[in-house]
Amino acid sequence: MAKADLKENAAQASEISVKVRFMGDLRAIVKKRDLEMTLPTGSTVGDLLTFLCDSFGDPFTSWVFSQPGKLHHYILIFLNGRNVKDVGGLGARLGDSEVEIIMLPMFEGG
Amino acid sequence: MASKWIPTACGMCYVGCGVLVQVEDGLVMNIEGDPNNPQNRGNMCAKGKAGIMNLYNPNRVKVPLKRTNPKKGLHVDPGWQEISWEEALSSIVANLQAIQENPKKLYIHGWEITGDLHSWLHAFASAFGTPHYSSNASATCGKVIHPVEFFSGGGFHQQPDLHYSNYCILVGTQFAIAARGAFNHVLRDMADARARGMKLVVVDPIGGNAASKADEWVPIRPGTDTAFAMGMLHVLLNELGIYDAKFLQHKTNAPYLVGSDGHYVRDPKSGKPMIYDAADQKNKTYDDPTLSAPAITGGGEGGRPAFELMREHVAKYPPEKVEEITTIPAKTLRRIAREFGEAARVGSSITIDGVELPYRPVCVDWAKGPQGHKHGFHQSWPLKLLNIVMGAVNVPGGIMSTAAAGKRPHHWWPEGGLDGLLEKGGNVLDLPHAKTFPGRTPTKPVRMDLAELFPLAPHFQTLLPITSQDPERYGLSYQIEVLLHTPTNSVLGTFGDLKMVESFYRSIPFMAGFAVELNETNLFDDIVLPFPSYLERYDFNSGITSRSIPPCGQDDWFWQVRQPVVDAPNSIRPPQEILMEIADRVGILGDFYRLLNHTYRLKEPYALEPGNHYPVTEVIDRMARSWFGEEKGLPWFRENGVVRIPRDVEEAYIGPSLEARLPIYLEHLLDRGEELKKVVSQTGIKWDFSDYKPLSEWMPCPSYEAVQKGKYDLIAVHYKFPYVYGGFGNENPWINEICEQTNAYDIILNEDVAKAKGIQDGDEVWLESPVCKVRARAKLTQCIHPQVVGVGGHFGHWAPGMPIAQGKGVNFNSLLPTDLDHIDKISTALDHCVEVRLYK
Repeated sequence: MAKADLKENAAQASEISVKVRFMGDLRAIVKKRDLEMTLPTGSTVGDLLTFLCDSFGDPFTSWVFSQPGKLHHYILIFLNGRNVKDVGGLGARLGDSEVEIIMLPMFEGG
Repeated sequence: MASKWIPTACGMCYVGCGVLVQVEDGLVMNIEGDPNNPQNRGNMCAKGKAGIMNLYNPNRVKVPLKRTNPKKGLHVDPGWQEISWEEALSSIVANLQAIQENPKKLYIHGWEITGDLHSWLHAFASAFGTPHYSSNASATCGKVIHPVEFFSGGGFHQQPDLHYSNYCILVGTQFAIAARGAFNHVLRDMADARARGMKLVVVDPIGGNAASKADEWVPIRPGTDTAFAMGMLHVLLNELGIYDAKFLQHKTNAPYLVGSDGHYVRDPKSGKPMIYDAADQKNKTYDDPTLSAPAITGGGEGGRPAFELMREHVAKYPPEKVEEITTIPAKTLRRIAREFGEAARVGSSITIDGVELPYRPVCVDWAKGPQGHKHGFHQSWPLKLLNIVMGAVNVPGGIMSTAAAGKRPHHWWPEGGLDGLLEKGGNVLDLPHAKTFPGRTPTKPVRMDLAELFPLAPHFQTLLPITSQDPERYGLSYQIEVLLHTPTNSVLGTFGDLKMVESFYRSIPFMAGFAVELNETNLFDDIVLPFPSYLERYDFNSGITSRSIPPCGQDDWFWQVRQPVVDAPNSIRPPQEILMEIADRVGILGDFYRLLNHTYRLKEPYALEPGNHYPVTEVIDRMARSWFGEEKGLPWFRENGVVRIPRDVEEAYIGPSLEARLPIYLEHLLDRGEELKKVVSQTGIKWDFSDYKPLSEWMPCPSYEAVQKGKYDLIAVHYKFPYVYGGFGNENPWINEICEQTNAYDIILNEDVAKAKGIQDGDEVWLESPVCKVRARAKLTQCIHPQVVGVGGHFGHWAPGMPIAQGKGVNFNSLLPTDLDHIDKISTALDHCVEVRLYK
């Protein structure tokens, strides 16, 4: 993946602007509700996650991925309001997008 | 006088039976079981019948309250003052807004399993951004069974298939006699099974209700279940040679080759585990299409089959050694193992509705008892292995995984994953389930509950009272500042040592929660919100049974919707609408809706839309129509109560169609343990890694060692009554009368032991644990292990808002030491057997 940047500026022609909202347990690591960034045109959801792993380190990576390229079952990602499972998974292309990344607590106990 | 019967769902415990409520002139006159509801088939328990007395409890909270006394404590009067809803919600919103930049300072105790609040608070917590959401009520129950079941069966809980079982062993559970999900359904199945000759063996320190119905009660020393299971496995595998080889070869990781380092032998290219194929004498990956005769004995290139290692390992537990640990006579264990193995009819099949299925009419069932120990995971897991080695999983007569799969109204099914093993369980709600495989990679703790150091656990709340004593010791630079909670009583039921709980709750600057009556938890609240009775409210979720613990087998799947049968007082509002208002006022309503839409699989045109505000009736109507079609909205459910959906054989018995292997060897525990050592070594925290092993060992609880050393002479354990089960009953005068009539408030002690101590039946005695000393009345019986004191129910109240319950019985949890040495390092379960002294 080409280099990505966290930017407040408008995206260049070869770049896309991505807004990310974090919900659930990931907020404890990211320490922000929202993040705006630019990514190279053609970037995918997988590229976005790689960038976020680089930015937030091992805790983020270990909470999001159960193994390389495979999300934990409690991770939800919505791309422009649609579950990425329904639009191509980690390979889904990002346009100028709004992405929600959610780590849900495990549900139900005793 | 006009009288009508209204269908709705009971809310006296988490089961949620279908009921018909007789109402005359706006008053509830009677409650009966709904014969059309598969949940309970018209049956009612004493507690359900007594629900009318909860509704008309004169001490119910009916208006918002605030405390006027800033001092907090277990026995401190909060100085309640009635306030308006606006003042109550403004106060809660202001405190949430104050931590919104660091939302992990919020802890939500979310267990309110009788209705919607549980899942709605789950969504609220995630929308707000806190990881500190507690999804369970107990310090032990559910902490092992659910993660184990999801990776070795595919569903939420386990349940013996009483329709076909011929030999059922209950270990530390009173299944289908005094406890468990779908209780009022399965108790009739249990009666039928016993009548047709199923042998029931109960292994339990206490000969309680379950033992009274059993063919045989086997007293066991608390905390020794591992040894019992390993001894059974040894007799079956090594002495008798009874096991389902075909099932182990093709449906488990028994043939996976294990190297000398304990890890799988893996294909260098793909990284997949290897199996030795005896047909052409070659190592192959587990999913090689040419694999025809996977070897589970002998050896392969570079390693030995996991099953071979397991057989060798369990040989360390001959019945004579097991007798020393458990006190179960060696000849008894050998006989039970032989009866169990012979009854399994390995190799037989049965045809149901034209479908031929493996027939394994035996199972071992366990629940709360084995989980509640310092090594709770390994106390429990070998019990499940007894079913797996017999091939008795998700097939007729065996152990069933509850709610694992279904085809309607959605399609949900367990799936394989890493290394070909069962990884994703089935769940009708689109929510992550408890999971012990493959686990998470440990990291330095950010969370107050130290979740990062428990990479295989699903729940973590037992750690909070411990870390709150000294957060910096765990590298944490903040504290919980706001606690929101459901009406359940976490002070008495969710943790251990009351002094630790008091200290934890006093450390939280702002607490707010719902209340039915003002219980011991509410004594710490700054704001109390009234909670409607289950007879006054709507819930799309009306108990746990439909989604998580329905009756197994071919009984209909069903869904019921709770509706009010009488009007709530005007001063009580629907809890769902309160949460929507708070979410709106703190600016997270859109995210809250997003998560509710996901949870309930709501798509256009039923999805909740950001910016809109909905009455609870519209939300539930959308959910109902989304799931069951336009014609089955809320009005249909108000008329009919429950929708029934027949299940076919494939849904009822998923074993043969499951495209995943079950584990017998837990390689990933080695990996997680090694990773954990690296992380913990950087923190300076003392940690016990002995549980991170792929094959279970019996390891003693602190209470076992304390008794061995002579510091104490007895071990206290908890047990359940069918009429005091799952909460919301202790302040009920009818339940109280039953408890008084049955001596339920007494602690029980072995008669011979009592005589040696000079204690007579009915004597007042002191019961002293390392952290608590209480007065109790002793009931003497032969039906208890001689080293054990039994403390039943959920008693020991002192809150002024519960005058009927005050001063009766003992609160078991308060006896429990609460520190890292008493926490299971796999599951976070708090050790529930505690050394005690008992004297006059």
